[in-house]
Amino acid sequence: MAAFMEEALVEARRARDAGEVPVGCVFVHGDVIIARGGNEVNVHRNATRHAEFICIDATLAYCREKRLPARQTFSEISVVVTVEPCIMCSAALHTLAVKEIIYGCENDRFGGKTVVDVAAVVGQQINITGGVRADEAMALLKEFYKGDNPSAPPVAKKRK
Amino acid sequence: MDVLSPPAAKKAKSVHCNTLDDLFGIKALLSDEYKKEIKLIKVHSCELESKQQLQAVIQELAQKLPHFQHLKRVHDRNVLICPTADIKDTLEQHLKQHQISDHVLKALCRNVNVVEVPANSAKLRVQYDQMVKYWPCKFHPDKYAESLQNGSNFTSSQRLYHKRMAQLLRHLSRDLNQGQPVAICVDPRQPSIVAIAGSRNSEGSHQHCVMWLVDHVARSQQGGAWQSQVDFVQDEQQHAAKTLRGLPQNYYDYLQSHEHCKDLQYGAELPRRGSEKQPEDELGTSVDNLSKYGPYLCTGYDIYLLREPCLMCAMALVHSRVKRIFFLEQSKNGALASSFQLHAVKELNHHYEVFQFTTTS
Repeated sequence: MAAFMEEALVEARRARDAGEVPVGCVFVHGDVIIARGGNEVNVHRNATRHAEFICIDATLAYCREKRLPARQTFSEISVVVTVEPCIMCSAALHTLAVKEIIYGCENDRFGGKTVVDVAAVVGQQINITGGVRADEAMALLKEFYKGDNPSAPPVAKKRK
Repeated sequence: MDVLSPPAAKKAKSVHCNTLDDLFGIKALLSDEYKKEIKLIKVHSCELESKQQLQAVIQELAQKLPHFQHLKRVHDRNVLICPTADIKDTLEQHLKQHQISDHVLKALCRNVNVVEVPANSAKLRVQYDQMVKYWPCKFHPDKYAESLQNGSNFTSSQRLYHKRMAQLLRHLSRDLNQGQPVAICVDPRQPSIVAIAGSRNSEGSHQHCVMWLVDHVARSQQGGAWQSQVDFVQDEQQHAAKTLRGLPQNYYDYLQSHEHCKDLQYGAELPRRGSEKQPEDELGTSVDNLSKYGPYLCTGYDIYLLREPCLMCAMALVHSRVKRIFFLEQSKNGALASSFQLHAVKELNHHYEVFQFTTTS
């Protein structure tokens, strides 16, 4: 499954090129990528448009198209994402009960494992593996935060 | 006043005000460090032989065992040394390990006691009043925290507006959404209703009411990601100062058709262009980012919810930088009171205030 991290990194770089926080994600079902995406927060003016949510929406569309039961499909999906899912995404993925989460670098600002124990709050355990090509994922974030988020007001920029 | 009842004469109106006031209360949900019950820890203390020893003892303790910043280290001739939990062998060995000089060590090891003292600093006066019964404490009163605790943070007109929103949530849910959750976003400066959302059969899905509301607010800023089945209000003038695009047409029509909602204001300020975002000096530092820079996500906005949000939704509102959350009913998987208190997690980069409506009925 870790081999799919390259595809997630491709999505992260694409997000960076679009002026978004460079996080990328793919959902793997069997051996096939059925959903892929990067952050789309700035373009939609919606702070919840993280890469994982783009993939959740794409998976639901995929299930509708293929007439697959969504609940069962999610339970067979491996989530491969460049950065540890945040508390919001992690809560969604635990509630949807995906098969596993594989991530690159940790998210010490609002990680769904590092900052809050989401599995305990939601009451659902999922296999989670971190540290897969973490340096590359982190390098993308560092590069991004050296510059400015063009949509954030000046004060918010300073805090970063 | 009942926001949905027919217009009434002035006298009757004030009676309605009282009813609404009786119907709902508003309680701030503060993090555990503001709880009335205080935590105690066991601590070694000693009684010095004379007050002449105090200066030397205190100086060394401050350097080498810097505990108890929230307490006074000395009470009469009694000195706090360290928490009992810190000591592995004997107190004497512990002091030696920390390079306490011989004469101070001697002074500290006479008449040693174990006492209970407050574990944390006092945030509120009620806590302080309890704490000083155990040991003299330092206390810096926080007027705003006190007002949240006793409910004096709102003016009576603000309080009434919040309660009208509580009642509106109930009516919108009952009349337009089959009792399912409804959420309202308000710009508190006017106040003006920016966006409304109702959940649609979201059982087992991630499209909860709050997630729709956040997307409807995004619509008011020329964004929005989700395809919606419902129609939204179109702005009549292209260059109006406010936009109604965050409001679903059926909710807006319902509100417009009820006489008592007509005094409510609707619409969101439009996002400002780069050059308009610079803070104006005359606004001063007390003005929030919404006034300084214009709408950005939900910065400075208040959110009213029928039900306590789950962890996903509560975090979505952190990401969206909302100012305050008001909710009516607790839910089993709620992440602000029932199963967790997300707003009490210090590591997060944004913190909103949380209020719950209490009801008598």
